[in-house]
Amino acid sequence: MEIKRYLTRRIIQILVSFFVILTVLFLLFRLAPGDPVSRMIDPSMSPEDAEHLIAQLGLREPIWRQYLVYVKNFFTGDFGYSFHYGRPVLKVIWEKLPNTLLLFTSSIILSALVGIFLGKIAAWNKGKPLDSWMTIGALVTHTVFLPWLALILIWVFAYKLGWFPITGIISEEIWLDPDAGALAKALDVGHHMVLPMATLFCIHFGSYLLIMRSSMLETLKEDYILTARAKGLRESVIRDRHAAPNAALPVVTSVGLSLAFSINGGALTETVFTWPGIGRELVFAVSQNDYPLAQASFLLIALVVLAANLVVDILYAYLDPRIRY
Amino acid sequence: MALLEVEDLSIGYRTRLGLHRAVEGVSFSLEEGKSLGFVGESGCGKTTVGMSLMGLLPRNGEVLRGRVLFEGRDILSISEEELRLLRWKKISMIFQAAMNALNPVKKVADQISEAILAHSSSVSKAEASRQVEGLFQLVGVPKERMRDYPHQYSGGMKQRAVIAMALACKPRLIIADEPTTALDVIVQAQILEETRLLQEQLGISIIFISHDISIVADVCHDIGIMYAGELVEYGSREEVFDSPAHPYTRALLSSFPTLTGNREMLKPIPGEPPNLVDPPKGCRFRERCQEASHECSLISPAWTELFPRHKVRCIRFERKKGPQ
Amino acid sequence: MKGDKEIRHRPHWFEQFLEGWSVFWQNPLGKIGVTLLGIFALMAFSSFIPPLVNPMYHPMTGVDPEIYSSVGPSARHWLGTDFMGRDIFSQLLAGARIAFMVGVSAAFMSIFLGTAFGMIAGYMGGFVDTLLMRLADVIMVLPTLLVVLILASLFGQLNIWTIVLIIALFRWPGVSRVIRSQALTLKQRPFIEAARVAGASHIRIIFRHIMPNVLPLAFLYMTFRVTAAIIIEAALAFLGFGDPGTVSWGMMLQWVWKTGHMFKALYWLLPPGICISLITLSFYMIGRAMDEVLDPRLRREETAR
Ligand SMILES: Nc1ncnc2c1ncn2[C@@H]1O[C@H](COP(=O)(O)OP(=O)(O)OP(=O)(O)O)[C@@H](O)[C@H]1O
Ligand SMILES: [Mg+2]
Repeated sequence: MEIKRYLTRRIIQILVSFFVILTVLFLLFRLAPGDPVSRMIDPSMSPEDAEHLIAQLGLREPIWRQYLVYVKNFFTGDFGYSFHYGRPVLKVIWEKLPNTLLLFTSSIILSALVGIFLGKIAAWNKGKPLDSWMTIGALVTHTVFLPWLALILIWVFAYKLGWFPITGIISEEIWLDPDAGALAKALDVGHHMVLPMATLFCIHFGSYLLIMRSSMLETLKEDYILTARAKGLRESVIRDRHAAPNAALPVVTSVGLSLAFSINGGALTETVFTWPGIGRELVFAVSQNDYPLAQASFLLIALVVLAANLVVDILYAYLDPRIRY
Repeated sequence: MALLEVEDLSIGYRTRLGLHRAVEGVSFSLEEGKSLGFVGESGCGKTTVGMSLMGLLPRNGEVLRGRVLFEGRDILSISEEELRLLRWKKISMIFQAAMNALNPVKKVADQISEAILAHSSSVSKAEASRQVEGLFQLVGVPKERMRDYPHQYSGGMKQRAVIAMALACKPRLIIADEPTTALDVIVQAQILEETRLLQEQLGISIIFISHDISIVADVCHDIGIMYAGELVEYGSREEVFDSPAHPYTRALLSSFPTLTGNREMLKPIPGEPPNLVDPPKGCRFRERCQEASHECSLISPAWTELFPRHKVRCIRFERKKGPQ
Repeated sequence: MKGDKEIRHRPHWFEQFLEGWSVFWQNPLGKIGVTLLGIFALMAFSSFIPPLVNPMYHPMTGVDPEIYSSVGPSARHWLGTDFMGRDIFSQLLAGARIAFMVGVSAAFMSIFLGTAFGMIAGYMGGFVDTLLMRLADVIMVLPTLLVVLILASLFGQLNIWTIVLIIALFRWPGVSRVIRSQALTLKQRPFIEAARVAGASHIRIIFRHIMPNVLPLAFLYMTFRVTAAIIIEAALAFLGFGDPGTVSWGMMLQWVWKTGHMFKALYWLLPPGICISLITLSFYMIGRAMDEVLDPRLRREETAR
C-alpha cells in the first residue's frame, strides 16, 4: 500500500512539473520580443495557408484562448508544421525518439552498472593503489569536456584506426541492400553506436563510481555489516549481498537527479556524431529558427526526462523494501 | 575444563591522541551452560571485550596482551578462515544496537537462514527455512511475519528476531551486548525472562553485558564489575549483589533502580572515568571514590579473595586481610 | 547578555577556515586542484600581454599578415594559428579569462540564490517552503544547456552576461535543497530559539544566526557550480550559440570542428579541450577536498555538476 501512495505522489509531482514547463514555454513563445505569429508560421507559406493556420492556432485571439488551444493541441499531438521539413513536427520528432531512447538508456544503464560495480571494488580496497587509481580515473573521465572527448574518440578510433564509422547511425549500402537481414542491420546500428555510447559512458560512469564508493564506505560502517561478519559469512558475500544492495540505493537516486544533466550530454553527443535523435533535432531547430520544431523537441525531451525519473523512482521502490511495503 | 578462559586480556585502540587502552588485564572463565554478566558505565570496555572474543575488533583495535581459550584453542592466534567457521557456529552474538543489526533490504527470515546455510553445507534451503520457523516459535514471533522486512517489525520483535538469529546455529556461547537497552521496561522484562529460560533449556553459555546491574543480577550466575577497562570485582551473583565489596560496585548499586522501582534511591556517581590514553597510576577509581586514601594513588590494587567465589581489587581489602 | 550569547554561538569562521585549510592542503586532491587552478589563473592574467606585444596576437581580431590558413606550431605562433591566421596560444589565454569570468560569476549568483532560497524555505517552512521546493523540483528536471538553447532561439544572440545569468537562474535548486535541510536542523537548535525569544526578527535570525552556519557548505557547492557554468558555456559556444564577441575555449573547439580542421590540426584540437577538462577537474578536486574537510555526511551531490 505504501508503494501506491509513494508512486501516486511522484506521478502527481511529475505531472505538475510538466504542466509548469508546458505553461512557461507557452508564455515564453508568445511573450518574447518579436512577433509571435511569425514564430509559429512558416515564412515561406502561402498567405491563405498562413491565414488558415493562424486561425487554427487562435493566434489573433486573447492569450488565454491561445493557451487553451495550445494545451489541446499538445494533447492531440498537434505541434504545427516544421519550417525546415515542411512536415508535421510530431512526425519529424517521433521518428527521432527511438534513436535517442536507444542511445540514452543503454549508455545510462551500462554506466550505472559499471559504476556501481567498480565503486564497490574501490571502496572494498580503500586506501590501496587500486582504489586510488580508480578514483583518479573516475575523476578524470567524469570531468572531461564531452564534445571534445567525442571528437578525440572520432579522431583515434574512426579516423586513425578506422574501426568505427565517423558519424551517423546506419550505412546506406547495408540498409538499401534488399538481401541484408535484420541481424546485419542491427549489427550495423550497433557498430555506429559504439563511439557515441563510449562517449556518454565515459562521462557518466565516473560519477556513479564515486558515489557508489562513498556510499559503500558509509554502508560498511553499519551495524548489520558487523552482524554479517559475526555470522561467519564469507567476505565476498558480505560485500555483494549485504553491503552493495544498500550502498547502491543512493546511486539510483543520483542517476535520477542527474538525468537532466545527462540529457545535455546526450544532445551534444548526438550533435557531434550526427546521431539522428531529438537532442540533435533541437540544436538543429534552434540554429534554423524552426520554432515549432524547437518547442516540440524541448517538450519531448522534458517528457523523456520526467518519464525516466519515474522509471528511476519505480526502480528505487523495487530495490528498497522500506518504500515498497 | 572451562568452555571459555580469558587470561590477562588487554586491548587498545589506536587513535589520533595515542593508544587508547580500553581493556587492561582482564581474566575470567566461563563454564559450559553458565552465564556471566559484565557491568559497568558506558565506555568501560564491555563491548570491546565481547568483540574480541569473536575476533571482531574494529580496524584500529588491537589485542595487546593475553589469551582467549575457547574449547582449549587460543582464538586470538587462529587463522581468519578458522575464525570465520567458528563464528556463529560456536559463538554468536546479540548486538548492542539490535535495531540496526538487521539488514534493511533483506527479509528477516533470509538473514537467519543465511547463517544456518553458511555453516552447514548439508542443510537444504527448505530445511533451513523450517529451522527458522522453529526459531521464530521459540522466541515468540508469529511465523507469518517471517517474510517481512526489518522495518515492518516493532522494536521488541526485532530484538526477538535478533535473539532467534543468535540461536540459529545452536552455538555453545552467546555474547549478549545490552540486548534490551532500547526497549521499554515491560518488553525488556519479558525478553530477559525468555532469554534466561532459553539458556537453561538449551544449555548455552551466555556472556551478558549491561550497564544495569539489576538486570545482570536477574539473569546471570556470575557477575564481573568493570571500571575504566579493568575488572574490579568478580564473583557469584549472590555474593556481588548482596554483599558488594568494591566502592564502585556499591555506587553502581545505589545508582540504578531495580526493575520494580525505588527511584528515590537513585544516586548518580559524581565525576568521570579517567582518560585511558594515559591512565593514572594506582587505582583507576580513586578520584571518584569516597573512601580513597593517599595510598590509592601509589599502588594498583591486586586481587583479594574474599570468599572462594568472590574477589575484589581494592586496597582496603588487601589491608584488612593484611599479611597473613 | 544577549551579545554574549551571540558571540559564543557564532562559529568563528575565520579560525575554522584556517584549521580547514591545513587539512585541505594535506589532501593530495586539494593540492593538485589548487596548483592547476593557479596555472589557469596565471593564464587568465597574462592574457593581456600578447596583444600588447604585437596586434597580430589579438585573440579575436589579430591576423598574421603572412598566414592565410591554419599552420602548425612555430616560434612565431607557439601553438600554431587557426583557419584565418589568428594565434591559438593567445586565444587559449583569453579563453582562461572567459572561463573564470563565466564560472565564478555564474556560480556566485546561483549560490547566492540557492543559499537565500534554501534558508528562507528551511526557516519559514509551511507554504513558502512547499512553493520554493516545488519550484526547485521543476527547475531540476530541466537540462540547463537546452534551456539556454531555447532561450537563444527566442531572444536571438545571447551575450556572455545573459548566458551567465541564465545559468545562475537554473542552477540554484541543488544548493537550496542542501542549505534548506541544514537550516531545518539549525532551526531546532537552542540558540535560534533563544534569539527568537529575545525578539530578533526573522531577517535578523536568518542572516545573523543561520547564514554563518551554512556558509561553509554554500562555499563547497560553489566549486561544483563553477564547473557546471564553465561546461555549459563551453558547450553552448561549441554548438555555435556562444557570444560571438568573446573567444572562449568552447568557441575555439567549434571553429576547429566546423571548419573541418579536426583531422588536420591536432595542435588546434587538443589545447582548448584539455584546458576545459583540466579547469573542470581542478575545481572538482578542490570541491572534493573541501568536502572532506567539512562534515562528510553533508555531501551528496557529486553528479549534478
Ligand atoms: N573504534 C574505536 N576507536 C577508538 N576508541 C574506541 C573504539 N571503540 C571503542 N573505543 C573506546 O574504547 C572504550 C571502550 O568502549 P566500549 O564500546 O567497549 O565501551 P562499553 O563499555 O561497551 O560502553 P557502552 O556501555 O556505552 O556500550 C571507550 O572509551 C571508547 O571510547
Ligand atoms: Mg557497549
